[in-house]
Amino acid sequence: MISFIGRSVIQKIITLFFVSIVSFLIIHIAPGKPSQVDPMNPKFTPEVVERFQKEFHLDKPLHVQYFYFYKDLFTGETISWKDNQSVINKIWERFLNSLPLFIVGTIITWTLSFPIGIRSAIFRGQFYDRSATFLSYLLISIPGFFFAYVLIIFVVNQFHVPVIGMETFGIGEGASLPHIFMDRIWHLLLPSMLGATGGIAVLSRYVRSQMLEVEGQDYIRTARAKGLPPEQVHYKHALRNALLPFVTMFGLILPGLIGGSVIIESIFSWPGMGRMAYEAILARDYPVILTVNFVSAVLVLAGTFISDLLYLIVDPRIRL
Amino acid sequence: MANNNTLISVQDLKVYFRSSHECARAVDGVSFEVRKEETVCLVGESGCGKTVSALSILGLIPIPPGEIAGGRILFQGKNLLELDEEDMQKIRGNRIAMVFQEPLTSLNPVFTIEDQIGEAVRIHKNIGAGELRDCCIKLLKDVGIPSPVQRLKDYPHQLSGGQRQRVMIAMALACDPDLIIADEPTTALDVTVQAQILQLLKSIQKTRSMSVLYITHDLGVVANIADRVYVMYSGIVTEQGNTAQIFYDARHPYTQGLLASLPSRSKRGKRLYSIPGTVPNPAYKPEGCPFHPRCPHAISTCSREHPEMCDYSKAHLARCPVLFESANGYK
Amino acid sequence: MNIEEKGFNEDFQFETPLAPKRTRLQEFWLLFRQNRLAILGLFIFILFFCCAIAGLFMTSGPDPLFDPAMIRLQEKLRPPLVKPNLDSLRREEIPCLGFYLMGTDDLGRDVFARMLQGAWVSLTVGFVAVGISVLIGIFMGGIAGYFGQHHIRVDHVIVTFLLISGTALVTAHFIRFGAVLLCLTPAYIFYSFLTQNRSKGKTLPLWAKVFRKNAVSVDTLIMRIVDIMLCFPSFFLILTVVALLPASIYNIMIVIGLTSWMGTTRFVRAEFLSLREQDFVAAVKTLGAGNFRIIFRHMMPNAVAPVLVSATIGIATAILTEAGLSFLGFGVPPPHATWGNILSDGKNFIFDAPWLTFIPGIAILIVVLSFNLFGEGLRDVLNPKLRGRH
Repeated sequence: MISFIGRSVIQKIITLFFVSIVSFLIIHIAPGKPSQVDPMNPKFTPEVVERFQKEFHLDKPLHVQYFYFYKDLFTGETISWKDNQSVINKIWERFLNSLPLFIVGTIITWTLSFPIGIRSAIFRGQFYDRSATFLSYLLISIPGFFFAYVLIIFVVNQFHVPVIGMETFGIGEGASLPHIFMDRIWHLLLPSMLGATGGIAVLSRYVRSQMLEVEGQDYIRTARAKGLPPEQVHYKHALRNALLPFVTMFGLILPGLIGGSVIIESIFSWPGMGRMAYEAILARDYPVILTVNFVSAVLVLAGTFISDLLYLIVDPRIRL
Repeated sequence: MANNNTLISVQDLKVYFRSSHECARAVDGVSFEVRKEETVCLVGESGCGKTVSALSILGLIPIPPGEIAGGRILFQGKNLLELDEEDMQKIRGNRIAMVFQEPLTSLNPVFTIEDQIGEAVRIHKNIGAGELRDCCIKLLKDVGIPSPVQRLKDYPHQLSGGQRQRVMIAMALACDPDLIIADEPTTALDVTVQAQILQLLKSIQKTRSMSVLYITHDLGVVANIADRVYVMYSGIVTEQGNTAQIFYDARHPYTQGLLASLPSRSKRGKRLYSIPGTVPNPAYKPEGCPFHPRCPHAISTCSREHPEMCDYSKAHLARCPVLFESANGYK
Repeated sequence: MNIEEKGFNEDFQFETPLAPKRTRLQEFWLLFRQNRLAILGLFIFILFFCCAIAGLFMTSGPDPLFDPAMIRLQEKLRPPLVKPNLDSLRREEIPCLGFYLMGTDDLGRDVFARMLQGAWVSLTVGFVAVGISVLIGIFMGGIAGYFGQHHIRVDHVIVTFLLISGTALVTAHFIRFGAVLLCLTPAYIFYSFLTQNRSKGKTLPLWAKVFRKNAVSVDTLIMRIVDIMLCFPSFFLILTVVALLPASIYNIMIVIGLTSWMGTTRFVRAEFLSLREQDFVAAVKTLGAGNFRIIFRHMMPNAVAPVLVSATIGIATAILTEAGLSFLGFGVPPPHATWGNILSDGKNFIFDAPWLTFIPGIAILIVVLSFNLFGEGLRDVLNPKLRGRH
């Protein structure tokens, strides 16, 4: 067990190292000089650019730049080129904005897709299964931005509530507490539902196929031959086995923490991670881009690590 | 035919599997019976409908694509095919239990032995937790698992193949059923373990005085264990009789072919016989007797008429007009 | 009476009547036909394909039938199926159908013409991007699965590293240092060639022994590369690269292709690993077939099914990704129309001219849906495990 943990941690660190190199190279080898942050900006006189280059070590060879960048990152001193703010603080602030979206979205996804997937598998080929299947294809196929506009039109026309942004502009003054609360909920609901649609569709299909796979196993026949009622066969014997792969998926939600959806956050003017990354890309704010990338790689690796561990714990067949 | 000694009697059972463009007649009019305290073997090649017949006794045929197209299964006077799901659950595991072929895949990998055996007891009997545990230990002891107390908390993958099959048997015995259906329980095991499991089944059948319906393709096993034998081919019973009649006085050319293809000491040095051709596809069976394309004795009627079961001698029946005639000619 | 002595009459037919013989394709079609949704998907896919090709011809050239770039400011935001105001238009500005089938946008451009033009973009992005990713995926997966146990030696790694860094340095204008590195490589290769021939029986010096050590297996190397690629959040990575590169449709195709091959690699590797252990491959090997023949003649046809399925679904994903990029303003530079940028332009008029949002949105939805349905239908039919379960 210990050796497994040790080995996989070392492996993940090596992977992370290469990820850092690759992302650094992608950014720096791509055409366009980072020092020309905005060539149209009159503030960027040649002297400013030169000072700028010195300050961010842009005059040094690539490997030195790499070294400086990751030294800053690990000591938490990276600063954004755009506004000279600390990147870590910026990310943290935006992360707190994205967090409610992520939490509500994940809860919606997981609470809906399991019952749907399991019921589809049990009633396979029947009306419920077929309509759920078609609906999930529909949700997978619908472009997020289009769906967002359809929902916005629907909600605005039907309920006459504003949904853009994190809260209605200027609501702070003189509104009652429940009013503010409801306002927040309305603003939160649409983007997190949109974030969840794809997840619901994919996850429920996956639950269904896992369930079907397990329902075809010999031990399900054994359970029925014992005289178990169908509910117990499905929800005890089959589900317990079908759930094994999903326990591992708990780890895989982790990267979603930082992912944030660029498109949904920009449609809803939600000041979250996705928006920040998008703005950083537009402004060629390399430290922010690289930091977001690095943090998300760490989360991906941590997620797979956690899911491996969970698998070890849940599946009695795996013993190290 | 049915007398009050009969435990279960399957009459003219038909089980079809339909897909959109085919209809596989896996079981096409099978009749057999198992009497109290006897061991009956269903013998036949793979795909001849043995397992499907057994599964339909317990109502475990997946519907759809499966379909019970006709027949009756009388168990203690009740037609199992007419029972609803709830009544069927009271029979499964309780009055009729089943032991499957692959002990590894037939045990649920995520539950302990105790869970799985205990469950079989708990569904049908109302007993407390402590009692349940004792019951499990006793069952494990009965099927000859060493140090059963330690084994209770094991998962199936921690046991050997033979032990897993013993656990399966323990599960089947949990409610002291009247009939145990054993579907090739020794096929996946080593030869030595096979013999042990057979021995175990035999002794259990004796001590608990219950009936066993044993399904196999292995004639050696049949000779070892069976009181009576039904030989199946392509979804029908071709010959039935007691073990001695089948082994020493086989009448149906298919049974004769099977026996001839067994190796034995007297055939040392000779080329082993094999039945030519292959088993017909259950969706495209030949007209008349399904065996006629492979039968060395076939006459023209064989390809036209479905043969009737003919009483050859005392309770020895065969579904072949040719041999019935020729046998009469001998006498 | 004895069956063995009787033997067989030659008159008897031993052939049992078999199932009617069907080719694999017929079998496939019989199964596929049952899945009505998949058939619908295939039908829409063919329709879309024809539309895109017809659209390419009708919207390009010096004098196109439908001109997607024709601006009629006096006719802006006309709803679908409305006849143009003939008095205010010059002759060449009148739409070819006599009315605006799908309305006009804020510059008075014919949305139908723009949709036709955009169809071709979606189609090519889908196919080219997936083509790239499938090629890379099959190549990497095939190597990992088939040559997986071969080892890369330490000196291989060093030589490759020298070559790459040498080239990089030369291009980065450190010409002298780079040239030294580049010269070192052939020198080492020459040296190792010499020692290999000479050193039979002799003990090698320690450093040479270290160089000859196995570093990693090919399989490990490729799977680690896959792991590394999977660490990048894919849409974010695509966005970054597309934003840095000059805006062009080809860059988008290449970037989507280069960032989505990992799934295919994993499939193909898994498939190859299991195929390689099967008896028919061993049989072909004993017949003396070369690796090339084994891979392409015997193993690839068996591995192609899952690749086909993931490619079909990959096309759907690529179309969605392209639409998302266009929506955010990256990708194909205006005035060229794509479904994503039609929607993106139209979103500002969402309450006044909803057709500008709904027409491209529903078009993307239908096309992507058809690919997904078709792909899932293929998966069901090609997966022997799921056969006969419905």
